[in-house]
Amino acid sequence: MKEINLDVLRDAANRLLFDMSDEEYRTLLEEFGVLTRQMETIGRIEGLEGFEPMTFPFNCETDYLREDEPETPLAREEALRNAGSVQDNEIKLPKVVL
Amino acid sequence: MNFEAVIGLEIHVEMKTKSKMFSGSPNSFSREPNTSVTPFDMAYPGTMPRVNKQAVINAIRVANALHMTIDPLVRFDRKNYFYSDLPKGFQITQQFHPIGREGYLDIEGKDGQKKRIRIERIHMEEDTCKQLHFADYSLLDYNRAGVPLVEIVSMPDMRNGTEAMHYVEAIRNIVLYSGTSDGKMEEGSLRVDVNVSIRPYGSKEFGTKVELKNLNSTKNIETALDYEIARQSACLLSGTPVRQETRRFDEASGKTVLMRVKTDAVDYKYFPEPNITPIRLSDAFVQNAIDTCPELFDAKQERYLAAGLSRTDADIILSNIDMASFFEASIAPKPALSKIVANFLIVEINAYLNKKGIEMKDLPLEPATLSDIAAFQNDGYTHKQCADILAYVLENGGTAEEARIVKKIEKQSSNDDEVLAFVTAALDANPQSIIDFKAGKDRAKGFLVGQVMKAAKGKVNPAAVAKVLDAELAKR
Repeated sequence: MKEINLDVLRDAANRLLFDMSDEEYRTLLEEFGVLTRQMETIGRIEGLEGFEPMTFPFNCETDYLREDEPETPLAREEALRNAGSVQDNEIKLPKVVL
Repeated sequence: MNFEAVIGLEIHVEMKTKSKMFSGSPNSFSREPNTSVTPFDMAYPGTMPRVNKQAVINAIRVANALHMTIDPLVRFDRKNYFYSDLPKGFQITQQFHPIGREGYLDIEGKDGQKKRIRIERIHMEEDTCKQLHFADYSLLDYNRAGVPLVEIVSMPDMRNGTEAMHYVEAIRNIVLYSGTSDGKMEEGSLRVDVNVSIRPYGSKEFGTKVELKNLNSTKNIETALDYEIARQSACLLSGTPVRQETRRFDEASGKTVLMRVKTDAVDYKYFPEPNITPIRLSDAFVQNAIDTCPELFDAKQERYLAAGLSRTDADIILSNIDMASFFEASIAPKPALSKIVANFLIVEINAYLNKKGIEMKDLPLEPATLSDIAAFQNDGYTHKQCADILAYVLENGGTAEEARIVKKIEKQSSNDDEVLAFVTAALDANPQSIIDFKAGKDRAKGFLVGQVMKAAKGKVNPAAVAKVLDAELAKR
């Protein structure tokens, strides 16, 4: 597994377009350290390959469905505020066609 | 060597809901760009998906209409890809546990026989944003991002373009009449991707698959497939292998054109969506969604045929859901008038819509008024008289009775005794016409009918006049 260090965290933050204080990076790194040690501990348990990976910490279900009622959308200016470039009320990007 | 085509379809249907699949954004087709957007649609941090109840109900209804096994545990997965059409960096879909599995649809094959097309799965997902590509930039409208979709994936059971066309028509009828979608291919609310390959007859192996896009009408699907099957056959016959590629249909030339050659399949790194807890649908919820589904196309068609309409007339009315609704509202008080009402809709009202260039939903006529006009015809007024009343109401409004009075339209008599008096008078006054008729001049009879109608001021029924006239001419 890739080693998590301060450079990796700063690079990830940069890619996700945010930044933190040095103290916050140190806190995050410590938390990753705890997570990594926990995963190593779990990884040492024998016979794990017989279990399906879980998405939730325990089997849980709900019956909640949102009623189909429209909510007030963002004002257009608000929706476009983070866009680097806008033309005709649409977000303008360099052309990339998949 | 003879080849057979192997065709499978993936159909994306935009659902007609008030809000989006996972957010409360309004779901509407024609709003100004980027005005139907909430923070979730723009993937703002901390926003969470909330599954739309109506979208689930719609998906259940379509799955049931397609005879599918419905999974009562609704689960979603992430399809990861980095592209500007979905700002989250992934699409929420149902890769591992589709809401419906293993169904079928019976369609009419090319030979007119019934053919069963198996359906592999139906699943719910969210639409992407709408991108407009220009020479060196793209414009993004996020109104469509998050619109609820169902994707219906058929098995490769179709063998020609006509079958594919009939399959899409049948799917469109289901989503339209179940109220799930407006099913407008030209507006992209029903989008069809076709996979087609060919193989020698009798072979069990599949050939190299080509994907066809830009099919915005059912007729285009048939045309594109006919062309593509011929193209692939020509390739193989000339010793050129068919390439795995995506082609688009060019409507102007009726041909398919290369878009891109497929490389290795993209790995979307699907995994279960951790932000949506699995949702358990109760039996009662599923059953209620099915029980409250609006009447489907096939059931309506059966009912119309039972009411005396021809298959052609029933299909003309059902080809326009607004016309079907109008028809049903018109006949509700007087079901016995179904055929008369259908005739007015198919002939006079269709002509009026075409002339005015308006849609059925904008027709300036109440169903009850058409019902009254049909009742006039049933009561002895001629179709022509009733069409005159209809034309007047369409132009001037008001009731059928008001129009009848204004237009001074009187019921025509079919009483033989009343008609006989007029016929006798006309024959006595025109002996030469009798001689002409006996000499074989059929026009003489038409003249005599005209004389009778003139003398009666249009108050006798022409068919009754013709009948009595025939009898009297035979006696002279």
